[in-house]
Amino acid sequence: MKPDARLDLVADVRDLQIVDCDEENCGIVDDLELEGAPGGKLRVKAILVGPGAWRNRLPRWAAWLVRRIAGDKLTRIKWEEVEKITSVVQLRRSAAELGLGEADRRLAAMLPKKGILDASR
Amino acid sequence: MKAAELTLGILTAVGGFVDVSELVFVSQAGSQFGYSLIWVIAISTVGIIVFGEMSGRVAAIAKQPIFSLMRHRLGLRWGLVTLAASLLSNTITCAAEIGGVALLLHLFTGLPTAAFAVVVTLIFFASIWMLPFKWIERSYGLLGLFMLVFGAALISIDPPWHAIAAGFVPQVPPALSLNERIVYAYFAVAIVSAIMFPYETYFYSSGGIEEEWGEKDLSTNRVTAIVGMSLGSLLAISILCIAAQLFGPRGISPELLGTVALGPATPYGMAGLLLASLGMLFALSGAAIETCLANAYSVSQFFGWKWGRHRPPGEAPRFTLCWIAVFLIALLIVLTGVEPLTLAEYAVVSSILVLPLSYLPLLLLAGDRKYMRRHANGPVAKILGWGYYALIVVAAVAALPLYFLTGGGTS
Repeated sequence: MKPDARLDLVADVRDLQIVDCDEENCGIVDDLELEGAPGGKLRVKAILVGPGAWRNRLPRWAAWLVRRIAGDKLTRIKWEEVEKITSVVQLRRSAAELGLGEADRRLAAMLPKKGILDASR
Repeated sequence: MKAAELTLGILTAVGGFVDVSELVFVSQAGSQFGYSLIWVIAISTVGIIVFGEMSGRVAAIAKQPIFSLMRHRLGLRWGLVTLAASLLSNTITCAAEIGGVALLLHLFTGLPTAAFAVVVTLIFFASIWMLPFKWIERSYGLLGLFMLVFGAALISIDPPWHAIAAGFVPQVPPALSLNERIVYAYFAVAIVSAIMFPYETYFYSSGGIEEEWGEKDLSTNRVTAIVGMSLGSLLAISILCIAAQLFGPRGISPELLGTVALGPATPYGMAGLLLASLGMLFALSGAAIETCLANAYSVSQFFGWKWGRHRPPGEAPRFTLCWIAVFLIALLIVLTGVEPLTLAEYAVVSSILVLPLSYLPLLLLAGDRKYMRRHANGPVAKILGWGYYALIVVAAVAALPLYFLTGGGTS
């Protein structure tokens, strides 16, 4: 599916895996930002990623709990950055360029880069 | 198709079928009700083959693991409920397996169980950290095949084969009192749960993605699911029959893992005991690793993180921290001193409650032509899938009342 096709937003895009241009997982479509006037056409403006986006979809007590545990981080990815939508949402650029996967990079610095044996098959 | 490709199925089956819950419930069922619950194992085996094959097919065609697509299908709220429930069930199961391995080593050596729990957890940690996915599955899967001694022992003690054959026919033994019928029903539900543990499908489908399955691997998937699960099922039936033949008539209820290992000792002496213990040791170890990784897979897939053991631990840091955390929590549970067999009971009851939530999205996905194209469920898979879904819903509804009515199968 191309990003300018008609979308059933909830069924087609929300909660789908996001992969970057290198096919690396870099989050889930946690919510969508829309634009448009009442009575007019709605257009997707951006993908929202992070606990700051998905916690708002939960009951108030659960949203409070998520905020305490996972924080409030939210990353906005412009819809123009979407390359295509299949069983995943593929982005045109790398996760790092779009501000995704920061937690991975921070934690990776704390862990050894390799296991003792070569993990390549 | 290479024989080595079957190891994924073998590990899943040996670890999944013959884990601590299976050993406990199947042995006790054989001891208390003879061969009359074999049909439940047989029916559940077909069920786990159906769902296992579906999960592998979804991984091969949609290229996405179950938990990732589950969130998309169930939505965030129900997805979170399923995630939380399966994390709870898998962590308790992981603790039961670690406790079981520690208990077996304690029986061998007389040294404290708690110390062994720490040591085996460190060994599991080192295995996952150091070994690539294929090595993990091959080493634990193949070493778990020491369990085949249970099959050989069954043939050696020459049981009444006609009675075993009759056990494949669905039945409720007519001579049972009402109270005994309720306990019989509890064991039936527990066996369904222990055989159809959802972590098996999470692990299996994630393994398929780790091994980069595609359309060309669909036949491998089908064969591994059928051969692996059937092998596990034969082992489970052997353990039940040995308990029925050796323990039941002597009034022994095999509530200790060591008692289960005594089965092969009857025909083969010390060698049988040693092989059975080794088999149980590796099967339980495989199951501990499977449940731990299944949790790390589930969380990482639910939140869309990098995951997998095909890459070094530092390249999938949140996945790595997840499985380390699961091992730590499971170890802490074991160190509280809760009996592994009590944990196994909790695991089985909590697992059956998760089953309907876990398998519904899988059924929907496997039948969805948008994702699965021409490999979507055909009429046979649809009938079997929904039929088994109805069965697990009934089992899930009955599980808690039966657990409380029977005090966990003890009354």
